[in-house]
Amino acid sequence: MNRPTIRALGAISSILICLLGAARVACAQVDPWEFEVYPYATEGRGVAEIETDNAVIASGHGHGGEGTAAGDFRSQGMWYNQYELTYGLTDRIEASAYLLMAQPSGRGYWYAVTEYRLRGRLFDPGVLPIDLGWYAELEWHKTPQFDNADIEMELRPILEEDIGRFSFIANPIFEKVLKGVGVNQGFEFGYSAGTYYRWTRYLSPGIEFYGGAGLIDGTDPLSSQQHYIVPVIWGELPHGIEYNLGPGIGVTRGSDRVLVKFNFELEQFIGALFGPSSEQGWFF
Amino acid sequence: MLFRLALVVAASILLAAPAIARPSDSAPIEIQFKDHRFSPQTLTVPASRPIVLKVTNASNEAIEFESFKLNREIAMTPGQTVTVRLPALSPGSYDFYDDFHQDVPEGSIVAK
Repeated sequence: MNRPTIRALGAISSILICLLGAARVACAQVDPWEFEVYPYATEGRGVAEIETDNAVIASGHGHGGEGTAAGDFRSQGMWYNQYELTYGLTDRIEASAYLLMAQPSGRGYWYAVTEYRLRGRLFDPGVLPIDLGWYAELEWHKTPQFDNADIEMELRPILEEDIGRFSFIANPIFEKVLKGVGVNQGFEFGYSAGTYYRWTRYLSPGIEFYGGAGLIDGTDPLSSQQHYIVPVIWGELPHGIEYNLGPGIGVTRGSDRVLVKFNFELEQFIGALFGPSSEQGWFF
Repeated sequence: MLFRLALVVAASILLAAPAIARPSDSAPIEIQFKDHRFSPQTLTVPASRPIVLKVTNASNEAIEFESFKLNREIAMTPGQTVTVRLPALSPGSYDFYDDFHQDVPEGSIVAK
């Protein structure tokens, strides 16, 4: 076996270990507003990006509290819409604000959550054997019909390895309720991960994995956990609009059976607040 | 328990990072962006060896040095120079372009 093949197998094994690790503990909510795998690269310094992440549950559950629906509404027919504004603060750190909406079947649009996030990359690409990044987010849940927690914190390490035209990305997710129902509980664990092939700039394939693993110190039967496999196409449309879309297949009874995700983003340089990051630096 | 283990692993990786950083043993290859084009537009580099690019934005506008095939994307303000580390490349041609200005001629890195 040649060296790139061994590295590819190593990267795939790492992702599988993450997924199996998730399966060993109790599984809870997948964030249905964010079927997105975060790469190591951050938004460029002085660049603003607007993004909308969307998911519709084509075949879901008929009662609230099942599948992707944590609250009162049933997941069947639910539309999830996330609007995100991101700005590159430095060459290694970006800041984002989110507005999350949802449309339960036949009930009009509801304002669900506001989120603020910082995300960064450590060192520069190619310095470490695996590119590493970090992600820290605060979520304000505005509508208890979707989630009883008031404030939550989410932390993710970001791991990425490029091998030839393939990219392997893993985002283990650690989430904690800071205020509201569940504040006395510990961290929940989930994951998002993806493998992407860079075929052409305008159209490329990939496969993504999402799962919610519930409380780290709790256990649920596998059948009630949520795990999704999402084959995607991604690339660039005219005017620099980037897309990532595909169907999601739930692989456990606790998952919704079929969903469709479609994400779009557009970036524009608007001016930098800070000077260039030091090439000897690793954080800022 | 799992969370503590993850924290220990993450801390270990960060502490060990400088020691396991990939070496950049080759002399940097310079690319300049000026007058709405990259110079040189075609680079020939040895295949199967890591390379380092020094990219300078000598224009008076912001650019984004990007290569789809190499998965590199770096926004650059006027006057900025960045170091771009690339792994050992298989023989072939690899694109690079300014993603902020679609009319800028695309360049290529040819690995032989």
